[in-house]
Amino acid sequence: MASAGSVGKRTVGDLPPRSRGVIALFEENCTVCMLCARECPDWCIYIDSHKEEVVVPGGSRPRQRNVLDRFAIDFSLCMYCGICIEACPFDALYWSPEFEYAEPDIRDLLHERETLRQWMWTVPVPPAHDPMGEPAKEQAAAARRRQPG
Amino acid sequence: MTPAEVGAALIAELGEGLASVSGGDRWSRATVDVSPSRWVDALRCARDALGCDFFDWLSAVDEEFRGYGVVAHVWSTVSRHGVLVRTVVSRDDPAVASIVDIYPGAAWHERETHEMFGIDFPGHPDLAPLLLPPEFEGHPLRKDFVLAARVAKDWPGAKEPGESQVDTSSRRQPMRPPGVPAPGEWGPA
Repeated sequence: MASAGSVGKRTVGDLPPRSRGVIALFEENCTVCMLCARECPDWCIYIDSHKEEVVVPGGSRPRQRNVLDRFAIDFSLCMYCGICIEACPFDALYWSPEFEYAEPDIRDLLHERETLRQWMWTVPVPPAHDPMGEPAKEQAAAARRRQPG
Repeated sequence: MTPAEVGAALIAELGEGLASVSGGDRWSRATVDVSPSRWVDALRCARDALGCDFFDWLSAVDEEFRGYGVVAHVWSTVSRHGVLVRTVVSRDDPAVASIVDIYPGAAWHERETHEMFGIDFPGHPDLAPLLLPPEFEGHPLRKDFVLAARVAKDWPGAKEPGESQVDTSSRRQPMRPPGVPAPGEWGPA
């Protein structure tokens, strides 16, 4: 008979792959396109940014890039649907299986940039593809290119 | 029986209706549209002639110009087939007879549909609200029910990339998600 302490309490290591615990932000990939904030059904992603000019030496004119000032997700509103992660074209948002972040004050469930970055280090390696599944679009396209017609 | 056969059988028994099949593969379900006056008869036929002894759920859909669609799903535990029975009631004074005499379990479903859509079910013993607090006004699942929280809170997606404040001076109108009325249209000031 299993001992009382080992039955029932799950740790992050026991969870199935792709478990949805919390959302992590990899800032380096974010271009501030605002698609996640627009698609979020709960309006819980708050983004502030500004534009900066980047002078390219020897280039024709300075380029503009968006600089992220604030990226916050309010997990008291979030419904964990994952639409923001699916919508992001630049792979800046990821699911993490961490679930132990309950707070006594509901306002502390608003996670800012630094917290979302810390969650990135808990994002697991993606699970291997199903060997019986359909090949990825890129594989199918490459196969078509190798054997034309 | 296939879903198509189940729908045809119900129409043959009832004498009217329009059958189709909803869903696909394992979830395909016979779907029969009847007029509101035959609503009770249709469900009685489903229970007696088709053997649908299990009442699953009853709810409504706000179909805007068409009116309110009322849908009930019933299932036969013996033959393992089900039917989605549907009808449409008008938007002004929506009402359809209650089916509690056929399926007593529909009582709470009809109470919830009544408080969410404002559809009356004559013949129901007590159409008291089920989920909403007593001081709540309006019927929340109607499409013209404004989500006050969405009017009061600024949409975070209205900002353009590279902005921290929504620039209301230079652009014609800040972007709003569909369904959220403009600040001047609804609500205080």
